[in-house]
Amino acid sequence: MSELLRRFRFALCYLALAALCALGMASRHGPAELGFAPKLVLDLTLPLERMVTLPISELRGVWDDYAALVGVRVENERLRDRLARAEEENHQYREAILSSERFQKLSGFRAQREVPMVPANVIHQDLSPWFQSLIIDQGAAAGIRPGMPVITDSGVVGLIAGTTPGASKVLLVVDPQSRIDAYVERTRARGTVRGTSGHDCDFDYVLRQENIEEGDLLLTSGLGTTYPKGLVVGRVATVDRKKSGLFLGAKVVPAVDFSRLEEVFVILEQRQIPGEDAFSSADEGLWPAAPGAAGAAAAARAAAKPQVAAKAAAKPAPKPLPKLVKPAPAPLPDHPQDPPE
Amino acid sequence: MSALLRLLGIGLALLLAQAVARLALPVVVQPDLVLVYALALGLRGGGVQGLVLAFGAGYVEDVLCGGPPGLFALLCGTACATTRLLDRALYLRAAAPWASYVGAYALANFALFGAAQRMFAPDTAIAWSELLRRAPGAAITSALCAAPLLHLFRRLLVDADRDGSWPVLATQSPRGRP
Repeated sequence: MSELLRRFRFALCYLALAALCALGMASRHGPAELGFAPKLVLDLTLPLERMVTLPISELRGVWDDYAALVGVRVENERLRDRLARAEEENHQYREAILSSERFQKLSGFRAQREVPMVPANVIHQDLSPWFQSLIIDQGAAAGIRPGMPVITDSGVVGLIAGTTPGASKVLLVVDPQSRIDAYVERTRARGTVRGTSGHDCDFDYVLRQENIEEGDLLLTSGLGTTYPKGLVVGRVATVDRKKSGLFLGAKVVPAVDFSRLEEVFVILEQRQIPGEDAFSSADEGLWPAAPGAAGAAAAARAAAKPQVAAKAAAKPAPKPLPKLVKPAPAPLPDHPQDPPE
Repeated sequence: MSALLRLLGIGLALLLAQAVARLALPVVVQPDLVLVYALALGLRGGGVQGLVLAFGAGYVEDVLCGGPPGLFALLCGTACATTRLLDRALYLRAAAPWASYVGAYALANFALFGAAQRMFAPDTAIAWSELLRRAPGAAITSALCAAPLLHLFRRLLVDADRDGSWPVLATQSPRGRP
């Protein structure tokens, strides 16, 4: 028996390790805290890698800033024109926002909420060309948890896929595992933005009769549990109206240039799918809330942001409203992976 | 022991080199240096230690990228085991056959990559067209890197090779040893 084991030691060892790997792949279920071994590997390799890749990034920055300035004058003029147009549009949007705010105040639905965020630096880009992830220098110690959304001033970056106390792995929008429920700002046509592992994304499950065009802006719909509503995802690059089928095909260019990403913000707020008791425990919104629950939620946010703490403390707990007839909660559509019937 | 440490050092250096290549080169010509390392560990005499190192290198790559955990470990381990099988049939210790083998295996590795994804983690699967687009360039650059790397491995491991403590990439036939 021992002779047999010794003879087939290599094959048995390979089979055991391969089975472990297969189990690891098959048992993966969404974002989660990283285990001891991945944390150890990250702690050991990241500082070294940072030492090696930082000079390369700096060199690239020098090249981009100084050596590649050919055609800057023409681009400058073009940008000036765009800026003038954008300022005019901005003025119109401000007017629209003011009108909208007045309307919301009147109808009493406006949520006066500040979103606590943690700034973080990008310290590592994905080693493999097949997947699109980043590692940032803030982790569980800063209050970051798996599933939290990551943004920049340009738009959505992705979501936290795993954390260690001092670092977090961010799954980018362009990763093939990423799905974001989004809508077209101009026409409100809805669909799912899916990563392709390249530099762009697919905009899936958009009905053929919907009116979408190249250059349309896509925003997060707020459905599901990850992204708040209204964050910029990207712009429609191409639209393919197929001759048959329910849906049209579209390509989306993300709003964020991931190759030059240096700083990001993690939104320290994890949205929950409303359950049976959600209507009575929500601290803000339509339904009555228990004062204790509202205080606890405010304290959790306050722990992440001191300015918010002061405001939350000054804000009186909402009075319990008369009991309303609670409608049956409709199931929230999450990021669909299969086409709707 | 020192040979094992040297091999670990080579693996770490290749991992860092791959990170630099990821920053500096276009995606269609990025070599897979960790795969080259795993293939080299399967050369004559690598044995179980070589296999474990190959799986370990793949695991580190898994941790440092956003893919399903275990995917690269499985691919690297398979690469090592395949080389061990084929090493007896092919003469892989000269630069040209070794580079050709690495190029061919890198191409096959793209197919294995797509198949493993569809089998174990279908939600992360990358389109075959995308794999085909990137495969030729990456295979060629991996093959180009393979020959000098083999030379480097041999230089660094020449002592261990001579005394047989870690006969990976052995330059002498095992028959010639006592």
